Amino acid sequence: MLFNYTIDGFENIQHQDYFSLQKIINKLMSLYRSYGYHQISTPTFETYDLYVHEDSIPSDDLFKLVNHQGKVLVLKPDATLPITRMAAMNHPNSDEIIKYSYQTNIYRNFSSPEMVKKEITQIGIEYFGNNSPECDGEVIALAILSLLEYGIKDVHIDLGHVGFINYLFDELALSPKAKETLFRYIENKNIGDIAAYLDQLKLSTDKKEIILKLPTLYGKPKTVLKDMKELCINEKMEWVVEQISEIYHHLEVMELSKYVIFDLGFTNQMNYYTDINFKGYISNCGEPVISGGRYNNLSEKFGIPRPACGFAIDLLKVIDYMEQENLLPQDDQSRNVIFYNCTDKAAAYQVAEKFRANGSIAEVFLIKGTWEDHVHSLRKNQLYKNAKLYLLSEGNLYTENNNQLLPLDSVDTESEVQ
Amino acid sequence: MIIRFALAKGRVAKKAIELLVALGYIFEDYSEKSRKLIFTDTTGTVEFFLVKSPDVPIYVEKGAADIGIVGKDVLMEHPAQVYEMLNLNIGRCKMCVAGFKDRPILYGKKLVVGTKYPVIAKEYFHTKGQSVDIIKLNGSVELAPLIGLSDCIVDIVESGNTLKENGLNVLEEICDISSRLIVNQVSLKTKHELIDPIIKEFKTQL
Repeated sequence: MLFNYTIDGFENIQHQDYFSLQKIINKLMSLYRSYGYHQISTPTFETYDLYVHEDSIPSDDLFKLVNHQGKVLVLKPDATLPITRMAAMNHPNSDEIIKYSYQTNIYRNFSSPEMVKKEITQIGIEYFGNNSPECDGEVIALAILSLLEYGIKDVHIDLGHVGFINYLFDELALSPKAKETLFRYIENKNIGDIAAYLDQLKLSTDKKEIILKLPTLYGKPKTVLKDMKELCINEKMEWVVEQISEIYHHLEVMELSKYVIFDLGFTNQMNYYTDINFKGYISNCGEPVISGGRYNNLSEKFGIPRPACGFAIDLLKVIDYMEQENLLPQDDQSRNVIFYNCTDKAAAYQVAEKFRANGSIAEVFLIKGTWEDHVHSLRKNQLYKNAKLYLLSEGNLYTENNNQLLPLDSVDTESEVQ
Repeated sequence: MIIRFALAKGRVAKKAIELLVALGYIFEDYSEKSRKLIFTDTTGTVEFFLVKSPDVPIYVEKGAADIGIVGKDVLMEHPAQVYEMLNLNIGRCKMCVAGFKDRPILYGKKLVVGTKYPVIAKEYFHTKGQSVDIIKLNGSVELAPLIGLSDCIVDIVESGNTLKENGLNVLEEICDISSRLIVNQVSLKTKHELIDPIIKEFKTQL
């Protein structure tokens, strides 16, 4: 006897959802393809060594296993790092432009007791070799378009730039501990505790004022840009303002700027972003569904210095939302079931072929008991909810309608084009 | 669009509701004895519900509530991905290590700690380099050292009366605790026209 339980954090995908998932993946992949991205795939297993020095993923969150040589492997916990390596291996020339798209499952061994999914289905893009605001703009635009593609309207992209805070802190000579504490408070927009913490630090009042303003730098891009300009104390901070306003301008040209808000409270604690980073939200969906940004230092670790920018969409989260809002693509292909008595086998298979040739689904069953029993059991089966039933008996074809058998001359050969 | 508050049951909720009323929201159907679960204000723009305090960060993190009001102790014990935007300075108390005055904590020796806050206690003693056995209790924590279950306790102390009546004293203060206004990270962005003014109003009330 086998027990029918599943492991916490791992789920089956039901057939309706899987159908939708595939449709969405196909549509998004052709969207990315139309922008020049090549779809690739990397192995499910990676070496532990690849992630052990990467602060972005805590070592405890990795699923580890040992292979026959005693080597420690992990289940791929993120898509970006292996794809960056792949780009570095296949394209050793730093100046080359490489545009990759991917769809993959990643695995995180979250220790939290709640039912958090540990297998995450991601789709996304990585754009290597271009450090311009246009590249950032294209990546953000594709993130927005990915959600719009399926009729989701309440899309919000929260755009930040980790450089703004970093270039400010570089000038303040803070201890690593102070930096980390302030980063955490700023990410949580915890102004009260920042103020209390700043009291303990030896900083000039005007610098403290600037730090206190950081968590409030969010909202309408134009307003935030104005506020940012006032807080700049060095050229690098001014450069950030320039970059981010150029990206915003790019999105204005693409007519997507209305989906974008700014939040300069993102930091690069726990991620590898070096410049912009962004999160994508859908109204009434309490957690972000897209996460992305620019990571210019990652490829260097594989020996090829190369700027890069990309994002990942948490597909199953989006599908959960689409299901609530009735936005999922429906399986509307017609389904036909043909029953036959043993003498009519050849005819039955011919009828089925005719359906399939016209783009419908056809299944063939030999009648074993009574016709009524077959109809009854099939009607109870959710998988055959909208199926049309046919009976082939002694060379005659019948169709079923409200438990009545109606004779048919031939099958309806109206073509269904998918 | 409606803004939903999750409030921690108990004395903090009472003060939080007073704050909401002071901001001009009227909850006609609310009384302390009411068994209703959700209360909506007369304009239909704000509603609140009362839940056990450790559940508040969960409701807010998942987006079931836009705003939550809950003690810092709960946020430290159950960290959540939320914006912790205001210190409301209500429900003020201290997180303390308490025990017998004549038996101060002997650092270096293994310590048995009874507490409702295992995460906070572990973190505190860990940063001091002290090895501890934590016993998670769900109430009447003061009992533990009295009957020899633990050497000391980690708990919130408001007036100190319960400790005093049981012959216990505060040995060390860990941190100050007060109620915080937390906001769902997505709501703050997607409903900012509604949430920003509420936060500003709360700020002016402080």
